[in-house]
Amino acid sequence: MSNVKKTGKMLKATNKLRNEMGRHFLAIEQAYREGKPTAWATAGTPVELLYSMGVQPMLPENSATVSAALKKSQNFIELAEDQGYSYDLCSYFKTNVGAVLSNAEMSEGGTRKPTFMLSSDVICDTHVNWFQVQSERMGGVPHFTIDIPHVVSNTTNRQKNYFKKYVKEQLWELIDFITEKTGIEYNKERAQNVAQNSYNMGKIWQKVFELRKNIPCPVSTRDTFGGLFPLFTMTGLKSPIKLYNRMYKEAKERVNMGIGALEKEEFRLAFLGIPFWYNLRFFANLERWNAIICYETYVYAFSKYTNPAITREMVVKKPVESMAELILSFWYIYDLQTRFNELKKIVKDWNLDGILMHSNLSCRPNACNMYDLKRKLMDEADIPSLVITSDMNDPRKMNETQVLNQIESFIEILRKSKRR
Amino acid sequence: MEKIAYFDACVETPEEIILAANMIPIRLLGDPAIGLDKVNEHVPPTHCVWARNILEQAIIGLDTDIKGVITTHGCDCTNREFDIWLECVDYLKFIFFLNAPLKRDVSALNFFIEDLKELILQLEEKFMVKITTEKLQKAIKKMNQIRSLLREISEYRSKMILAGSEFHALVKQVQQTNKDKILKILQDKLAELKTMEPKIKQAKKILLTGSVIDDTEFIIFLETIGFQVITDDLCLGTKYFWGNVDETEEPIKAIAEYHLNKPIYSTKFPSYERFEILKNLAKRYNIDGIINVAQKFCEPILYDHPYFSKKFKELEIPYLFIEMEYNKESYKQLATRFEAFAEII
Repeated sequence: MSNVKKTGKMLKATNKLRNEMGRHFLAIEQAYREGKPTAWATAGTPVELLYSMGVQPMLPENSATVSAALKKSQNFIELAEDQGYSYDLCSYFKTNVGAVLSNAEMSEGGTRKPTFMLSSDVICDTHVNWFQVQSERMGGVPHFTIDIPHVVSNTTNRQKNYFKKYVKEQLWELIDFITEKTGIEYNKERAQNVAQNSYNMGKIWQKVFELRKNIPCPVSTRDTFGGLFPLFTMTGLKSPIKLYNRMYKEAKERVNMGIGALEKEEFRLAFLGIPFWYNLRFFANLERWNAIICYETYVYAFSKYTNPAITREMVVKKPVESMAELILSFWYIYDLQTRFNELKKIVKDWNLDGILMHSNLSCRPNACNMYDLKRKLMDEADIPSLVITSDMNDPRKMNETQVLNQIESFIEILRKSKRR
Repeated sequence: MEKIAYFDACVETPEEIILAANMIPIRLLGDPAIGLDKVNEHVPPTHCVWARNILEQAIIGLDTDIKGVITTHGCDCTNREFDIWLECVDYLKFIFFLNAPLKRDVSALNFFIEDLKELILQLEEKFMVKITTEKLQKAIKKMNQIRSLLREISEYRSKMILAGSEFHALVKQVQQTNKDKILKILQDKLAELKTMEPKIKQAKKILLTGSVIDDTEFIIFLETIGFQVITDDLCLGTKYFWGNVDETEEPIKAIAEYHLNKPIYSTKFPSYERFEILKNLAKRYNIDGIINVAQKFCEPILYDHPYFSKKFKELEIPYLFIEMEYNKESYKQLATRFEAFAEII
């Protein structure tokens, strides 16, 4: 079933992504050649601060997705398991351990020893544990972690104020740490330029998503999952803004001409969670039911500037302070009630028929209250939702036939509900 | 007296604050004898077995004297389950998430103090009580007495007078009983131990570490194999009574400092520092071997294990790592591995 032919139209601009990835890998090579400082960073950390201090970031998570897309992740994962890392641990982490262990090339998901590492627990504890493990395995790489307070459904505004203070303090401590490790001082003007680029990139990505509200939806999930690499790795640089502008223009033309990414669009869905990077073709299966994914929470989250209270002026004027605010208004920090409220709004605004939720065996924090989220969506908002269980980077944990059967039944429910 | 329970994968919940609010702190612990049913509607079966077990108990219904629950920042599973508690454990008058910080520096300390103050504020508002400095000082004194007694009693494990399982049951009792009553029990126990001679013969001396190990029957099971747990770094062990809160310091700051200065947990950063703690305990007690137990899906322990395995191998200290389901049947299934370990040490 995995040999489904791709029929949904991809944007031509998305093909340019390879150039951006190449640019990123080249910048890393150049940094090593010229002896510039480099840093590993986990998703959700302020990569902008690295760029603004002349540090070349590398995101092992994204490298792990590259391994998966090239069907190499399973081999790396098994190498990590041979080292004693449990079958039940995060498959991104194990992919990275295996890739580093086997000296994999960057183009296949390898990541070189950095000057230092930057992690945070904003998304998961795994990020912190992962870099602790790899820092030690690489001979003691300096590691800074940002502790993000856990926001819950009954966190008060009073609490959020000192949460922000704590995060802000740590960001300044991070700057001191970078200076200590690299000798490079913080330069506000440079930080402001980077912040401006980051803001512009986030906003143009959001504009692409806005176009997906149109029926038919002009942009497929292959464009968005395929196009998000720079959102993680190159935030703060100018070149990816051009790519996203191209994507936007092309999508806008489609909207003007009434062309959708799918020839016949019948069901519009949201996807919650990280996709199966080793099997992105899986999403083409949806086309057999004329279904298209018009919104991915994971992809939108990394447009970063989703809090309307944080304006361009704030971001540019106070890059560090606004970064603290942004970290605390990130999708992955949302409590159950906020996620529910947001999804209700998304379903309405994007004209969606239902939600597919990926209960990811590698991402327990996100899978944790998915069942309750589904129940609330169905019981309190009448939004059809389906939870599927699999893994983002470990193909051994995907039962494609079972998942497809579940989706087929779900589509039947949607069909009936449309007829009502 | 009303009770406030705490759900804490470490032991960083300030019991002194609950005592100062004129209530009894009770630690929520798992019950490996129960089957899991209700929790399956909320949390996938591939998540921490211990946290799922406690949520199951809470959904069914906690002791009616328990008027509130404090969940203290632990791992991803315990933290993220808090919102589920809010959704489906709706009979509680009070429910609070305490952000015990991940790190151990000055900013983290100041943040923790803020969150402790918030806890006090919310307790005062909800229960119409006043948590004064004097009440906190009195509670600190009481808890310090308990800690000191436990530390002294704990030593009788290595003197081969007190069985590891008996001590484990005692710590559990302390965490789940009125603290006034427990003081007398501990004093009597210590007096009794002082009169006793070593009774445990030919047992292998073990340092026990790992996830929350709250089933005393597991320790009894280890004893049937021929082990004596003479020390540990468990939250139902030395981590509960490691040092005292400074009685001369401002109480809230002193409580925060106490928890952040204790040996670090696997759920906090940098958890690799645990190796030094374990190494020192191993040296101090001249142990025969280390047993590290991960409850199934306990990620923090799973991440640390290969490092510990490597380091203890370098030191030539026998080390056994076990992943275990949270039920009594699994003990029997693991018997062969424990027996083999007993053979080699």
